[in-house]
Amino acid sequence: MKYEDVTVGEELAEVEYPLNVYRLVMAAGANRDFNSIHHNSEYARRTGAQEMYANTSFLLGAWERCVRDWMGEEGTMRAIRDFRMKAFNYAGETMWVRAHVAAKRLEGETGVVEVAIRCENGNGITVGPGVVEVVLPRRTEGLK
Amino acid sequence: MTGPEADSKADWKAEWQPVIDAVGRDFAPETRMGADAVERGAIRRYLEPLELDCALHTDPEAARAAGFADVTMPYTGVVAWTIPPMWRPGERLFDSADRDAQPVRSPINNQEMTLGPKTTGFFATDIALDFLRPVTAGERIGRRSNRLLSCTPKETSVGRGAFLKWESDIVTEDGEVVARIRIGTYAYVPKTEGDE
Repeated sequence: MKYEDVTVGEELAEVEYPLNVYRLVMAAGANRDFNSIHHNSEYARRTGAQEMYANTSFLLGAWERCVRDWMGEEGTMRAIRDFRMKAFNYAGETMWVRAHVAAKRLEGETGVVEVAIRCENGNGITVGPGVVEVVLPRRTEGLK
Repeated sequence: MTGPEADSKADWKAEWQPVIDAVGRDFAPETRMGADAVERGAIRRYLEPLELDCALHTDPEAARAAGFADVTMPYTGVVAWTIPPMWRPGERLFDSADRDAQPVRSPINNQEMTLGPKTTGFFATDIALDFLRPVTAGERIGRRSNRLLSCTPKETSVGRGAFLKWESDIVTEDGEVVARIRIGTYAYVPKTEGDE
């Protein structure tokens, strides 16, 4: 993906995550967030939640995957902003990461793209909407 | 509102005043490194539940062709790879066989906050990250500083507590800043049955 190929408003491919206990346990083991609310339903209910729910690193990673799938290996991530939890992402639900290009600009010769992104479930937005800011290579690079 | 109910409401918020007074304080001025260096196997395990397919994270040749010394850590790994160890040699991690017993000590549940009321509920509410450069396998990262930016007591659907905002630098062992993180958390006393 090159900066010049990007159109403001274009949709990124949606990423679907069926959230089940298996996935959430794998995530906790991999990203080291062993807070019991993320892998123990009974414990999670005692903290006021309806079920165990996806942890922060998993949700951040879900945003990264959506953007990486779109921009490919040449893009670099510069920032994540407004990653806000609006609702828990419970085991037993399906979560989708949806995004579109909100803006693009040149900072000198650097091509910067802002991707508006959020997690949703059947009830609406659960995380975000926020922004992932990326830098994409220019089509003219390498021709100088 | 007057009487005992109003007093109770005022009391629980007042318990957070020492934390409010500490806004601006750096609770961890020293650098605390993550438990392990970033390495290929841990990156692979991080990718699995995300089904995140990018050769920069899995293929050393592809990573080197892109100019990196080894595979790169997913950017969002700055949270996972800066978590201190759950256990250290000589320590006891669990002291109860109760089904839901918690570890004696955990680096991720607000236990290290010495001010304010004791809370047992804890989760992240929001995050902002700035990435200065990718981290590659073989590097080790940690957090330098943990400055309290704000504290707002609030009752929510899950309990009474406070929204806290923290700021840290993500650094290498050489002290190079590779990312910056601002994280919001909600630390609370969960509602019990019978609470309104």
